[in-house]
Amino acid sequence: MSKLKDNLKSKGAVISAKTGTKESIIDFLKKAMDKGVFDAVLIPMRVPAGDSFAYVLIKDKSLLKDSFPLPPVMSVQGAKAVSSLTRLGKGNMKIATVMRPCETRATIELTKLGQTNLENITLISMDCPGVLPISDFLDDPNKGMKLFNDAAKKWDDEIMRPVCQICDKSSMVAGDIHIGTLGAKKDTFFIISNSQKGNDALEKLDIKLKENIDSWQAKIKDISEEKQKKRKKAHNDLKSEIGGLDNLLDTFSRCINCHNCMKVCPICYCRLCYFDSDKVKHPSEDYLQRAESKGSIRFLPDTLLFQTGRMMHMSHSCVSCGACEDACPVSIPVAQIFSMIADETQGLFDYVSGRDIEEPLPLVAYKEEELHEMEDAND
Amino acid sequence: MTKVLKINKSTEQGILDLLKFLLEKGKVKGIFTLKKINKDGSVAYSLIAKPDELKYAVPFYPLMPVNAGKLLSRFSLKGSSSKPVAAVVRPCELRGFIELVKREQGSLENIFFISSTCGGVYPIDKSVDGTVEKNLSKYWDAVKKGELPAELRPACRSCEEFIPYAADMTVDLIGNNIDKQCMIFLNTKNGEELTKGMDGELLEKEINKEKIDKFRSKRGAEKKKLFDELDVKMDGMDGLIKIFGKCIGCHGCMRVCPICYCKLCEFESPDSEYKPSNYESDLKKRGGLRVPPGTIYFQLGRLSHISISCVSCGACDDVCPVDIPVAMIFKKVGESVQKMFDYIPGKDVEEDIPLVTFEKEEFAEVEE
Repeated sequence: MSKLKDNLKSKGAVISAKTGTKESIIDFLKKAMDKGVFDAVLIPMRVPAGDSFAYVLIKDKSLLKDSFPLPPVMSVQGAKAVSSLTRLGKGNMKIATVMRPCETRATIELTKLGQTNLENITLISMDCPGVLPISDFLDDPNKGMKLFNDAAKKWDDEIMRPVCQICDKSSMVAGDIHIGTLGAKKDTFFIISNSQKGNDALEKLDIKLKENIDSWQAKIKDISEEKQKKRKKAHNDLKSEIGGLDNLLDTFSRCINCHNCMKVCPICYCRLCYFDSDKVKHPSEDYLQRAESKGSIRFLPDTLLFQTGRMMHMSHSCVSCGACEDACPVSIPVAQIFSMIADETQGLFDYVSGRDIEEPLPLVAYKEEELHEMEDAND
Repeated sequence: MTKVLKINKSTEQGILDLLKFLLEKGKVKGIFTLKKINKDGSVAYSLIAKPDELKYAVPFYPLMPVNAGKLLSRFSLKGSSSKPVAAVVRPCELRGFIELVKREQGSLENIFFISSTCGGVYPIDKSVDGTVEKNLSKYWDAVKKGELPAELRPACRSCEEFIPYAADMTVDLIGNNIDKQCMIFLNTKNGEELTKGMDGELLEKEINKEKIDKFRSKRGAEKKKLFDELDVKMDGMDGLIKIFGKCIGCHGCMRVCPICYCKLCEFESPDSEYKPSNYESDLKKRGGLRVPPGTIYFQLGRLSHISISCVSCGACDDVCPVDIPVAMIFKKVGESVQKMFDYIPGKDVEEDIPLVTFEKEEFAEVEE
């Protein structure tokens, strides 16, 4: 976490939010559009039926009043929306994106993977209380909305998704501008900048980053430490539950190979996944031989190979956003499992996914001492 | 009249005996069927080669973890089965496979089909919370009496195609005394050959039309109810936006669909990707744009691509993480498209898919 702290500016701005936090954030965005700091804003909005939320690229400022900076569910991981906007080029519009920290971090990972172009994008994140499991919300959207608002006010994570309950990076500042609601005095929030781009935008808006943000830092430190403990415990429990090949097989035994987890994963960007490619399609003799030698095989075979393969391909970039678990039709705790593996693989390289855009992806960068390790191994 | 093998044992035991017989006598080298695969009782399709493994087989377990048509396509995609195998599948799964074979995504050769009059299956999430296991005896009681079991998937509750078309054998489940007897209709020469030597009485019979008609009319009434409910919601473009608004774009419906076989879907291809200039020009017309775009376009596109062949298996409903009634929408549109061409998908492998074939009078229509 020390790098994170280094990253944070020690000063911020305190913004008055007398009309309510949500309304004041929207005012801030409106003002930024008025002044031409941004030409458009990517932000969640309620869908017409009112039963969910979707990212909308807003150019008409009047639509902003219906936006939801912090919706109760994560219907689409925001990084996927940013990638859809900019994968083929930066475009001519200056766009602000308003997303949760894990969505912002995934956007940074996708940028490292060449799947977004952030040149004209300003990433704005907010302190995140978590989200509801999408199925819980859909059972009764109005009730879900109310439950979420009440819980978010108290920063109570009990009804949030399991992976949100153990998120220790819910206030991680990784983008350009962060909105801090924790530790702020009544009817105010903090604005913190994390980049030159953030500084420039705020300067144009006459927002001076001069005020003390100690109360925010102290609060998020507390929350993060508490969550780290919870996370460790949850991962230890999970490890004893799913450790070893037999338990792992049992855990994934009800997987139906729909690959929804992969499709909604912000990191899995391959157009054709290896596990859907011709490489995994075999002649009938192969299947029959395998069945003959083992007595019987599951069909399709290799469910676990897909899961562990995906883990290997993306766990160093996994941001534990939980989209996979929301989309799993058979309620496998995919996100919890992947978050556990991700902590380990990222820990090996002292890497935190999406923490810093300048930090290279561990598997595509070499350090000199790693080469020595290889030499030693050959001795 | 059709030849029938009557085994004086419960249907459950009779069918397991049959499968064992087929493997032990070397009539087939493998059996595709549902099987319990772990200690929690998860059920998955398996390819069984050793008779011993059949003790975990649950051929007619009321669950469709995957449409077996898709699995058989994978099995025979790289050439027809090298050895004879038997597949225990539901009528809609067999129809799904036949549609795939018509699209050159598999081969019927060397695969023998054992199907049944089908009572329907539970939603997949009901297997996770233990409902299926708990309801098993209620399910079989209802099927035995020719009634509709409760809590089944909408696609199954409203299914009128519960008798298989192209099976070598049809196990009679609906309205049959399945505790006491196992009735296997031998529809083809292969069916007769395979069962030759099997213990049991050989009769000549037809499936009881009266009980089947009664069952079908119950399903029909359920279908009408579900379609009526849908009619209210699917009112024009606004209705579609409301129904599909919560779609999260996972495309799970497409991935589990037995008809959607494309390796790269049009809607995931570069052709469907928006360039920044597309966003910019669209934003000139509207104040806001949903990102990623194309939510309704995907659904309508998939409807136009596959509705002619949709077998209403309900797999799409099972995987939708946001409970959009995909299966019923596709069934409703599918039925009306299929009716236009007087086509029943998966009924007969010799029948061409309407959209790839031309009839002489259709040319005249175009001329006019």
